[in-house]
Amino acid sequence: MQGQGWKIGLIAFLLAGSLWYLYPTIDLYMMTPAQREDMAKNDPQAWIKLQQQAIKLGLDLRGGMRLVLQVDKSTLNPDEASDAVERAREILRNRVDQFGVAEPVIAIQGGDRIVVELPGISDPDRARELIGQTALLEFKLLESQELSSILIERIDRTLEAAAGLDTAGTSVDTAATPTERGELEALFGADSADTGSSSTGETTAPASPELTRTDTGEVLPPQIPRESPMSSLLDPSGGYGWMVAEDEVPLVKLMLARPDVQRLVPPDVEFAWGTRSEFVGGLEVERLYLVKKQVELEGKFLTDAKPSFDQFRKPIVSFQLTREGGRKFARLTGANINKALAIVLDGRVESSPEIQSRIQDRGQITMGGTATYEDANDLSIVLRAGALPAPVTVIENNVIGPSLGQDSINRGVSASLLGLAAVFLIMLLYYRLSGLIANVGLLFNGVFLLGVMAVLHATLTMPGIAGFILSLGMSVDANVLIFERIREEMRAGKSVRNAIDAGYDRAMSAIIDSHVTTMITALALFIFGTGPIKGFAVTLLWGVAISLFTAVVVTRVVFDFRKSYKTLSI
Amino acid sequence: MPFRIIGDTNIDFIGMRRPAYIISAIFVILGLFAATMMIVGKANLGIQFTGGTMVEGYFDQPIEVSELRDALARGGFEDAEIVHISGRSQPYTFLIRVKVAEGETQKAQSVVDLIKQYFPNNTFNLDSVHEVGAAVGKDLKTDTLIAVALSLLGILVYIAIRFDFRFGVSATIATFHDVLAVIGIFYVMNVEINVLLISAILTLAGYSLTDKVTVYDRIRENLKKFHRKADFVPAINRSINEVLSRTIMTGTTVLACLIILVFVGGPVLRDFALALLVGIVIGTYSSVFVAAPLYVEWEEKSPKRFRSQ
Repeated sequence: MQGQGWKIGLIAFLLAGSLWYLYPTIDLYMMTPAQREDMAKNDPQAWIKLQQQAIKLGLDLRGGMRLVLQVDKSTLNPDEASDAVERAREILRNRVDQFGVAEPVIAIQGGDRIVVELPGISDPDRARELIGQTALLEFKLLESQELSSILIERIDRTLEAAAGLDTAGTSVDTAATPTERGELEALFGADSADTGSSSTGETTAPASPELTRTDTGEVLPPQIPRESPMSSLLDPSGGYGWMVAEDEVPLVKLMLARPDVQRLVPPDVEFAWGTRSEFVGGLEVERLYLVKKQVELEGKFLTDAKPSFDQFRKPIVSFQLTREGGRKFARLTGANINKALAIVLDGRVESSPEIQSRIQDRGQITMGGTATYEDANDLSIVLRAGALPAPVTVIENNVIGPSLGQDSINRGVSASLLGLAAVFLIMLLYYRLSGLIANVGLLFNGVFLLGVMAVLHATLTMPGIAGFILSLGMSVDANVLIFERIREEMRAGKSVRNAIDAGYDRAMSAIIDSHVTTMITALALFIFGTGPIKGFAVTLLWGVAISLFTAVVVTRVVFDFRKSYKTLSI
Repeated sequence: MPFRIIGDTNIDFIGMRRPAYIISAIFVILGLFAATMMIVGKANLGIQFTGGTMVEGYFDQPIEVSELRDALARGGFEDAEIVHISGRSQPYTFLIRVKVAEGETQKAQSVVDLIKQYFPNNTFNLDSVHEVGAAVGKDLKTDTLIAVALSLLGILVYIAIRFDFRFGVSATIATFHDVLAVIGIFYVMNVEINVLLISAILTLAGYSLTDKVTVYDRIRENLKKFHRKADFVPAINRSINEVLSRTIMTGTTVLACLIILVFVGGPVLRDFALALLVGIVIGTYSSVFVAAPLYVEWEEKSPKRFRSQ
């Protein structure tokens, strides 16, 4: 057989190469869980290397978490926006690395999205919290209690007036936007006198459960108390800020969101909620603060942050500041002794300690509410990694439990093996020895494709398996086309040699055309598809190319040997 | 002699094309209707396309769908869809789907908390959570449509170059017919259209095309041997008959494999394999009864090949 040498050499080379690259995969998946643990403990470097070299299973097969984050660049200037996504990815990588996840994937998708994949994660809520937060730490000052209660009182009056005005709108809108803090009290006087008459009128009316229309046509929910609507829900007794019963939080939020209430809030302060709820006297409460908008110090001046406990065994995060940060902090604390600091994380108040002395470059953040040591640890991680350059929102969140993943692998694998066995059997029964040759070709096809996937460090997902199956189906079809053609030629009276040549030659155009059209489809899907569709396209593309190779070269070699036979088992 | 399922056949496939057109018309109308419903968002689209939250998990103790529905409705999820998933190792496995508005994705936690609150003595174990923002769903829908449109265009151009323009157009129409038919059938069966199902539809588009190319390949070969106009339809019939054994053989092999996947492959693979199963039957049908007859119709309406006679 002249000219066969190079073909056999090529096939042997490819087979050896595929098996070489597949060796880590076989090695990894043949190990028992105990053996894996053992290796991870005793030889972590080799363990990581093995995992990197083996074909990875996608999250849909092994369980884990996949988040897609949208970076909100709307608040950034063009200069900052240009590399915001890149910087955000770096920061997220730092956070994830410190969180301790094996083989995380953190990749930029499109212009402003980041995909985070965390295989085999056990606490998805915590991971999401850690990744999704901007972690913008700001030190601000709380508004004095005196001025805060004046504002609340004013809100009360306005809400009472709004609830009392059933029909014609009159007085409330006359409350002009206060622009200077000094005007507050003056405005209060005018306003309370103004609303006095309407609120007395209101108390005579029977308390009706129906909704009350305000002058602006908005609907005030019936649950809002008619008298002192705001202050009756706020409890100022426990330290700084007010406590709001958990059940009433939505109501307070509703009232604060009203435009007429918003207009009363001076421009240099804002309401902010506490980070988490706490239990006071058996009741779950949230804290509401009135915080000055001025940012006194930012988290970017932090050089280190560590979780620990304070003298009351409450979790804290102790931090260290840069020299510049230390100077700023010293100035801030020195000038505001006995006032309350607001430690604000992503717009929510983590805690509000009272400044007792001038602090230079070391400090600690008392964790608010029901915080645990784990919370303090997570806060330290995000503070060390730094704040994201822009806020991110989670636009896609997938969590697949490990048991579901295992279940789908087991079933998928057994079904695929059975399916393959059925194909082998049919081919063997119908085409006999030629069927056996086709089956060997099919096995080669599978080994080559897995080998390519190992070289590409590809991840095997469910749609990927679909692509794999389709390419094996095409390989079977190619063999069927050839065999049917050879049979036809033999029925037409041709010799074995001529029938084999004619069979291959004439079947070839159909095989090439069908493979090329499928490759066009796969290519379009690869270029324009996203996520799972892309995984399908990659396996299909390689699978079809390999199928073409096995049909044209691998089985052909065997048939070329059979040309000299007198009869052909086909 | 080799073992053969069918011998030499001489079936007049082209003669049967008119009744087949009626069946195909029903498929196409159904498919177009389903596709319209998908675009306006009325079909059973997966959350990857619509945005939404999907929670899957199992209870340790028996529980009724109605109990779960009541609890979710009282907690503010009146529109929650609850499906009991049978055939899992855990008998009380449920899938809960809730809609999300633009810009929110945090509903899964509230659903889980709510279940824990209402059924404190019956532990709910989470299998999977999928949350997709509404905007992402829209993007994926557009991307998928572009990918499908481009691949069809690419195929049209390739076949037009390799065979001729008429083959290209007929094959593309026939493949489109198959895709529509499968979408229509799945719409009627109320199967969820998700990304996996879309990959199944693309897979069968690829398979269906392979089938059409094979038939055209033989037609092209046989048309070289016949030169009279009267031989045109017989040549086409003969081509289909000649490739029939291949069609049946490949079909049987692939179908055997898929039937096993449907019954053994588990919940994730089942819909996928079912879509392929339906699609391959339709794809094989349309190669014979749509793709080839379309080419014949075209030649009869405006002769190109046999213009001189």
